[in-house]
Amino acid sequence: MFHWLEKHPFFFAVAVFVTIAFAGLVEILPNFAEASRPTIGTKPYSTLELAGRHVYIKNSCNACHSQLIRPFKSETDRYGTYSLSGEYAYDRPFLWGSKRTGPDLMRIGNVRTTDWHENHMWDPSGVIPGSIMPAYRWMFANEADVDTAYAEQVTVNKVFNVPYNKPIPMKDGSTEIVMMGASLDAAKAEALADAKVIAADMKNQDVKDMVASGKIPEIVALIAYLNSLK
Amino acid sequence: MKLWIGGAIFVAILMGITWMMAGGDIGANDTMGSLAMLGALATAVIAIFVSIKYVRQIQEEKAGGDLADENWDGIGEYKNELPMGWALLFLATTIWAVWYYLVGYPLNAYSQIGEYNEEVAIHDSEFAGKHANMDMQTLVKMGESVFIVQCSQCHGLAADGIDGKAANLNKRIEENGVRHAIMNGANNLGYAAPMPDRNGLFNMNTGALITDAEIATVSKYVANGMKGAGEDVFQGTCAACHGSDGKGMEFVAPSIADFNPELVATVLKHGKKGAIGAMPAFDLLNEQQIKAVGAYVTSLSK
Repeated sequence: MFHWLEKHPFFFAVAVFVTIAFAGLVEILPNFAEASRPTIGTKPYSTLELAGRHVYIKNSCNACHSQLIRPFKSETDRYGTYSLSGEYAYDRPFLWGSKRTGPDLMRIGNVRTTDWHENHMWDPSGVIPGSIMPAYRWMFANEADVDTAYAEQVTVNKVFNVPYNKPIPMKDGSTEIVMMGASLDAAKAEALADAKVIAADMKNQDVKDMVASGKIPEIVALIAYLNSLK
Repeated sequence: MKLWIGGAIFVAILMGITWMMAGGDIGANDTMGSLAMLGALATAVIAIFVSIKYVRQIQEEKAGGDLADENWDGIGEYKNELPMGWALLFLATTIWAVWYYLVGYPLNAYSQIGEYNEEVAIHDSEFAGKHANMDMQTLVKMGESVFIVQCSQCHGLAADGIDGKAANLNKRIEENGVRHAIMNGANNLGYAAPMPDRNGLFNMNTGALITDAEIATVSKYVANGMKGAGEDVFQGTCAACHGSDGKGMEFVAPSIADFNPELVATVLKHGKKGAIGAMPAFDLLNEQQIKAVGAYVTSLSK
């Protein structure tokens, strides 16, 4: 076998490649499989939250806000527990960001609530004096794109087997189920029901009217997404 | 012969250079300096001797023995025995590699999380030692810095709630806050029995459910700091749980007359949802920081 290989340079090169590639896989794959598995308590995004995530991406929130808490005391004091790779299992694409003009948002849902986000997105410097974040008032009028969010849900469910409509283990030992509508209409109805819960905590009358008439403003979807970041 | 002469000249040059560089400093009585020169001479002679030995070996010795079967374009290989030193080293390296792979590396590997845990443990013990016994003034000061970092984004730097966007902490409770609690009930702070809404609040003076007028009066009374009209309603309806002075009862109801550190700690632990909006629970703070924030918030309305 080796004598034969030594006399055939092309197949020798192939054999070298296969050997090194195999060794690489043996080293990389087990660790990768372990680290990319969702951590206990990581849920896939609901339809409304995904729509909010699209709003987040559309407005380039990740250009100024990271979603990655590094394991340093100074960071965990301010933002909460450091991030684990498994917590990004359902992020496609991940939104780690590379620059913190604003604070990290990895666990913003633990420290801010719906009404604060409403005030802040309408007029950031009204809540945080000296804030350089611009206001995002059009989000209170624009409609969120639930169709695309549902399309993404169906895609990741089929292609990556993201566990929708299945019990997901939580940290306290219980399980939760994230629903995905059986049809687009069902998904829209579900998103609207979620939106009504959020809008009930909001004060902006235009937003309340829109939700009451069956439309979902971008701000509601975005707040649903931000509240889910925990 | 040529080699030996060349070697002697080379040693002489090396020694000359050494002498030029260091010799000036060596006196007649400098034993250390003389010993160093002797050492340099020995090193140079040995180096040259060994080099010459190998050069001569290359020049004179012929390889011999059985040829191996392999032949690469006419270039063959002798079947030489493995040198013993090389074989032992190879064996030792193999054993070491197995140990390093199974024991050496895994048990001593660097871990970022491990370093973080050490960093936190050191900081926490330093913090606990430094702030074990804080007086009131230090507590309030620490509370103020924690407040600016964690609380001011909603409650404002002046703790005034920024025009009603959050609770104004300079006074215990606002009129609409009291009304909201009476109308909707409250179960914010994890007491065993939640506060009922207006359909569960009896006025013992009248023996009937609390009325709209009474709600308006008692809301003003509580928001005013337990002053003015409405005391009878308060005593008849609210005092059973909140105490006749409104300062609350342990395990039953919180103080609505003033802030105290325990109340602040409970709100931080459970969060709160009331007339204005929702406040999340804060588990970022450690025990001393919670105490400090409690002291600071209490000091605001005094």
